Amino acid sequence: MTAFNLLFGPDGWGPLLLRGAVVTLLLGLATVPVGFGSGLALAIAKTAGHRGVRAFSEAYTTFFRGIPDLLALFIVYFGLQAALDRLGSVLGLGTIELNAFFAGVLALGAVAAAYSSEVWVAALASVPRGQREAAASLGLDRRRTFVLVLWPQLIRVALPGLGNIWSIMLKDTSLISTLAVMDLLRAASEASKNTREPLLFYTAAASVYLVFSIVSAVVQTRLERRADRGFA
Amino acid sequence: MRSAFLGRNFLAARLFCVLAAVLWLGAGSAAAKDWKTVRFGMDASYAPFESVTPSGDIVGFEVDYGRAICAKLNLTCAFQNQDWDGIIPSLLANKFDVIFSSMNITDERKKRVIFSDVYYATPPVFAGPASDKSNDVSPAALKGKSIGTQSSTIHANFLERFYKDSDIKLYPTQDEPNLDLASGRLDFVVGDIFAEKDFIEKKGNGCCRIIAQIQRVPGIHGPGVGAAFRPEDTDLRDLFNKAIAELDADGSYKKIEAKYFQEDIRGK
Amino acid sequence: MDTLRSLLGFVYDADLLSRYGWRLIEGLRITAIVVTSSCVIGFVLAYPICLARMARSWPLSVAALGYITVFRGTPLLCQLYLVYYGAGEIRPFLQSVGLWMFFRDAFFCCIFVFALNTAAYQAEIFRGALAAVSKGQREAAAALGLSRYRTNRHVVWPQAFLVALRPLGNELISMVKSSALAAIVTLLDLMGQTRFIFARTFDFSIYLYAAVIYLAITETIRRLWRRIERAASPHMALVTPATMPEPVRAGRTLGRPVIAD
Repeated sequence: MTAFNLLFGPDGWGPLLLRGAVVTLLLGLATVPVGFGSGLALAIAKTAGHRGVRAFSEAYTTFFRGIPDLLALFIVYFGLQAALDRLGSVLGLGTIELNAFFAGVLALGAVAAAYSSEVWVAALASVPRGQREAAASLGLDRRRTFVLVLWPQLIRVALPGLGNIWSIMLKDTSLISTLAVMDLLRAASEASKNTREPLLFYTAAASVYLVFSIVSAVVQTRLERRADRGFA
Repeated sequence: MRSAFLGRNFLAARLFCVLAAVLWLGAGSAAAKDWKTVRFGMDASYAPFESVTPSGDIVGFEVDYGRAICAKLNLTCAFQNQDWDGIIPSLLANKFDVIFSSMNITDERKKRVIFSDVYYATPPVFAGPASDKSNDVSPAALKGKSIGTQSSTIHANFLERFYKDSDIKLYPTQDEPNLDLASGRLDFVVGDIFAEKDFIEKKGNGCCRIIAQIQRVPGIHGPGVGAAFRPEDTDLRDLFNKAIAELDADGSYKKIEAKYFQEDIRGK
Repeated sequence: MDTLRSLLGFVYDADLLSRYGWRLIEGLRITAIVVTSSCVIGFVLAYPICLARMARSWPLSVAALGYITVFRGTPLLCQLYLVYYGAGEIRPFLQSVGLWMFFRDAFFCCIFVFALNTAAYQAEIFRGALAAVSKGQREAAAALGLSRYRTNRHVVWPQAFLVALRPLGNELISMVKSSALAAIVTLLDLMGQTRFIFARTFDFSIYLYAAVIYLAITETIRRLWRRIERAASPHMALVTPATMPEPVRAGRTLGRPVIAD
């Protein structure tokens, strides 16, 4: 069977790979709010007044940055399942079902939070305290202060680092393939095992990842340029 | 700020603690579940028992057999793909209700899960390159050779016990050692006779052949394949045993078996 | 009392460690060998790639850029599968050039892929480091009549080395973590042994032990690297105080240099 047939023919594996690519993209996009949001919370916690809170966020970051992402994934995936099961039985809620995709998002989010917290800490440190004071003196409430004054300065400093982490996370979604989620790499694995054509399918998968990477880089440059508006 | 928190929410905090304590104490008693849907967990990389089609569906002998069991029990079935290494932990963590994935009954596994009756028993075999004309698979003959199989299986345990002088390689699924045998990376593969036959006939391209059958060692291979349940789900296990017996009696098992195999796999 | 014992048992399981501890040590040994070999080979490969990337010759520069983009833009696991299973597919060809024995072994396959991967990242680190040395330095050296080699050896490289130091440390730590993927292609490194033990015992705590070991390794490397940085730059306030954040991985986006720190 020709390569074209294997991919696009009636019994072709192309559609499965395409669906895998969509899952990969969705996995990455879902991880962004979870991971980067938690990262920001962690960063704020690192500068908090309470010593225990600071210690916890430092320990969390050191842990998830010091172990392989694959191991972190396993720990969160299996550990979370076991913990939720225990929680469910304790609260009498019965089964708390955690589908593999969602568990993957949480696992990747946990890792992304640790990485991005470092970026956010630098960004938070870069905004002079005078900004908050000036905003207060102008009578801006907390929400307006954050949205109009702090956020633009924050995101400008954080964007390069966050973009870097995004590209790492997008590649880390491939680790989910070891946990029975049908992402792009797993689809390529299934296809190559069934057809004994690993070169074809893994090259196809690699090309899709490459396209994702290049598009991400372009989008990031645009976003950075936009975030730089109004700054010297 | 701090005192305000204590003041307003202290009552709520106390109520919550009491509630949690009550629930914790009460959570011990698990009533027998009323089964309507059964979620099957399987490692769908084990043709012809279960495998994935290009459209992403899971098909195979155990899928059809599982559906027949559900029909007999008037339950709805759902099938989930799960990697073999994590299949027991996932069962215990409630990701699905039964492992229906050619899992052999062993004492080691019985420590964690309970099994249904045996629903098939087939011999393991050594597969090797077609060019290998000898049929000698004794540990002495295979000394120093590389033998591959899936990890966390009876085959892996068997190799570890008896083939200490060979180079044993363990893979996440059974497909991968087969591929490495075909490409020449491995000298031998150990697997189930029908899984290996399926690979050799459908994807082997004449690369390999079955060298020899392995006598099932009771302590390692166990009596055969059964469905695995959480230890507390004895009621589901009994339902399955009933269905297995009924499907044997009315000939449905033979019908499903005939669709995939020319020989008897029941092994009774 | 029983709860306390079971709780402690979760944290430190003497029986588990006594039965399988030797496996973890054996896995650690393999991980150490794989990581050191890949990083050293990658280091050696990275400089020529970096030079090619900055070369004036257009085909050379594009080829290097292509190499770097491919290896940084695709997941390491995908690269590993491609080489490991792909080699099996083209076995007749490999046998004809005598390379089959090399690719047959998971150990060499892993080192091969890891080395190529880290070479791409290190090439970018070198490029950023060399670019960080201001042009004025080279001009001044030229004004002093220093040869190309002398300029590099005494002016450019020492400064570039300091800039590259932190990202290279991060890359080493990154490689230690990425090496865990070798377990997926049958190599019994630390992660592989951990999965093996988990498959035997279904005891979740083995993953936590492995995490502790990896943490110990990465923290040791991090602290060692700080010492090296401090020793290399006594004349500069280059070393950041403990509260300053560290960049993630070379602080570099695809094709867009952001100098670490």
